[in-house]
Amino acid sequence: MVTMTKVFGEIEIDDAKIITFDGGIIGFPDLKKFTLLYDSEKSGGIKWLQSLDEPAFAMPVMDPLAVKETYNPVVEDELLKPLGKLDPEEILVLVTVTVPKDLTKMSVNLQAPIVLNAENKKGCQIIVDNEGGEFPVKFMIYDILQKKKERAGE
Amino acid sequence: MLALSRKKNEALVINNNIEVTILDIRGDQVKIGISAPKEVPVYRKEVYIQIQEANKEAMNAENLEALEDLF
Repeated sequence: MVTMTKVFGEIEIDDAKIITFDGGIIGFPDLKKFTLLYDSEKSGGIKWLQSLDEPAFAMPVMDPLAVKETYNPVVEDELLKPLGKLDPEEILVLVTVTVPKDLTKMSVNLQAPIVLNAENKKGCQIIVDNEGGEFPVKFMIYDILQKKKERAGE
Repeated sequence: MLALSRKKNEALVINNNIEVTILDIRGDQVKIGISAPKEVPVYRKEVYIQIQEANKEAMNAENLEALEDLF
């Protein structure tokens, strides 16, 4: 299908790349079809979860391990039921990124990861337990990214 | 909204498989026990709203050009 996207203009999307969120995303229950987009030459860690129902809706997402190496929240199997049969090799975990005008206030949401099953292209957003304060909704990442960049440049 | 009065240790049954029990009442705080199938997510509403807001903020990403320089 050909679709309009928020960041990449009009593009052609292979049906095999369509990800279905049967339960929608928290706060956007009607958005069920998404695709994952990224520019392989730019913006290193950021990918875009682009809605195919609403072209204006796209969320930046990234690998949580890029900013928190020990990220490994406990998730009840039942919460992942919408994803069908799960092969651990086929699971992709992403966290949403908030990019405000002031980039130093950039954050990722460690409490509500997006989980994808690459095998059947199903996705869901879950909420993990944050009783220990380890998985905040706003985990600040600007300094972490800066330090990573400096280290990579050394 | 359906409003029902319950006393301590009384309960409600929702949809044959969810039971909500009033465990304790102390001043302005009520302790509630919920028995539901594990695939039924139960969240504190303020947490749920926080995540909704975070998703909305993420959908409104600004400053995309400057973002490139961060990586």
